[in-house]
Amino acid sequence: MEYENRQNDDIVRMVNIEKWFGRVYALRGVDFHLKRGETVGLLGDNGAGKSTLIKILSGYHVADKGDIYFDGKKVVIRSPRDARRLGIETVYQEQALAPNLSISRNIFMGREPVKGFGIMDKKLMDEESMQALQNLGLRLRSPDLPVVTLSGGERQGVAIARAIHFKAKCVILDEPTVALSVKEVNEVLEFIREIQREGISSIFITHNLYHVYEIAERFVVMARGKKMTDVLKEDVTLDDLSELVIKSALVE
Amino acid sequence: MNQTRRFYSFRSSSTLVVFVTLVVVFSIFTPNHIFINERNIAALGKLFPDLGIIALGIGVLMICGEFDLSVGSVLPFCSFIFAQQMIADFSPFVSFFVSLLVGAILGLINGIITVKTKMPSFITTLGTLMFWRGILYVWSKMMPMSIRTFVPSGSPFQKLMAGNLNAYIPVQVIWFAIFAVILSILLHFHRFGNWIYSTGDNRDAAHAMGIRTDLVKIICFMIVGVLCGFSACMQSVRLGSFAATQGVGFEFKAISACVIGGTSLRGGIGSMTGIFLGALTIPIIDNGLILMRVPVFAISAFIGLATILFVLLNNYIERKTR
Ligand SMILES: Nc1ncnc2c1ncn2[C@@H]1O[C@H](COP(=O)(O)OP(=O)(O)OP(=O)(O)O)[C@@H](O)[C@H]1O
Ligand SMILES: [Mg+2]
Repeated sequence: MEYENRQNDDIVRMVNIEKWFGRVYALRGVDFHLKRGETVGLLGDNGAGKSTLIKILSGYHVADKGDIYFDGKKVVIRSPRDARRLGIETVYQEQALAPNLSISRNIFMGREPVKGFGIMDKKLMDEESMQALQNLGLRLRSPDLPVVTLSGGERQGVAIARAIHFKAKCVILDEPTVALSVKEVNEVLEFIREIQREGISSIFITHNLYHVYEIAERFVVMARGKKMTDVLKEDVTLDDLSELVIKSALVE
Repeated sequence: MNQTRRFYSFRSSSTLVVFVTLVVVFSIFTPNHIFINERNIAALGKLFPDLGIIALGIGVLMICGEFDLSVGSVLPFCSFIFAQQMIADFSPFVSFFVSLLVGAILGLINGIITVKTKMPSFITTLGTLMFWRGILYVWSKMMPMSIRTFVPSGSPFQKLMAGNLNAYIPVQVIWFAIFAVILSILLHFHRFGNWIYSTGDNRDAAHAMGIRTDLVKIICFMIVGVLCGFSACMQSVRLGSFAATQGVGFEFKAISACVIGGTSLRGGIGSMTGIFLGALTIPIIDNGLILMRVPVFAISAFIGLATILFVLLNNYIERKTR
């Protein structure tokens, strides 16, 4: 109740989140918040719990303990459907697209516009897909191309275009630049700037501090299932940040 | 644009090539060209839809990323139920719907076991294949049951399931075509089709996009079950009886048909055109070789070989076009 009044400039607030995987204590009471329009860099060593935390937000896992507030209201997120309904969209490295399906079928996956009797409105899907990609500055030959024929950067573009098209309020980017070429990385970073220009909040997970430092306004560092640091960009240099990540991982 | 069209249709176009080649070869090399004889074509048209209709459903299920080996015993099981209902004095139409319902339930069971245990459906449906056949053998005591008196030649239900549209076109072909059209609309134009492809192609992605992948899979298993129920009635009416050995070997022939139709064994790839052609190709191989007086067991060897070669060919084409 109290949160509703005090914290209404937060789009997401996760309070005291705990998660066990069998005997692995993956999240040990994590608090996390994201302001409207803000981009947060979520950092930490391998196995720190970053993916687990955001997968709880995107409905992929369910927390064992803790509360989630979205847009000022307490919410229960039990499945990806619940999360998408709230306006939480996730962009994973490989997970979020079906490689053999066309671009437009991917963009509208699970939310196909229909003409009646469940028959898809293919024309609308094609037009809106091309439009959404164009808004990102991506010009692809045809909405019928299977996603597998696109470059890694273009694929992330498709996933991000999908998030923006469906008016996401919060976009989660879990290592969206992994395994991409330098040119493709720059493309993806440009897509993320488009998300910011649209005023959409985002959480950006990466191991590359250079990428995240350019883009995020605040950094959260995790280690062994706990939040270690939460700093604004203006308070740290890139070197400080790098040191924070390394030290967090070493602290017992 | 053109290239992607080609990419997409490639699998079905290689099926088309195989199909046409076989037709030409059999037409030329069967004694007296008996293969293209009207009577042979009409006989084929009566026989192949039993398997063909089931293969259409198996294709949809394979696109969704699962297999169903149990069709070989779900079919005779439904056939038994159909016969029993009529012997218990229900009308053929009521018995027919009961048979479809039982097919749906057996499909539902396959689906639930598969998604809940997270075991490969190759294993779960191998289990139900053997289970239902065992139950059927015990229950029916393997005795054939005549149903000729309930669906005599010329009765409405007999005409509907095993009659002739005209001198050349048996009604079974029409049913096969109808199911192909319905499933084609479902796969390629309906939103559920997009869920089927997404689930088979990348289940995690489909799940993350809010698609209930377990439910999609269960429904696909049920589609196969219902088609088995339908095919069971069609076959029983044609034969005029129930026989416990109906449908033996259908499970692998149906999968072969889909594979020859360009359906991927890993899910996510396939088209109704391809599956349709595949479902025509297998019976043609069967029929053509019989007419060429090839011994029955050698035919099985031939179909096995053709399936493997076709997968190799498709993989090769796929590598070249990517
Ligand atoms: N599905 C799961 N089942 C069991 N253990 C898991 C599962 N997912 C994560 N874990 C464990 O939880 C801990 C946190 O993992 P998580 O994937 O959240 O780390 P991460 O910070 O995203 O790491 P990385 O940077 O390598 O992606 C790890 O010890 C991991 O082994
Ligand atoms: Mg991770």
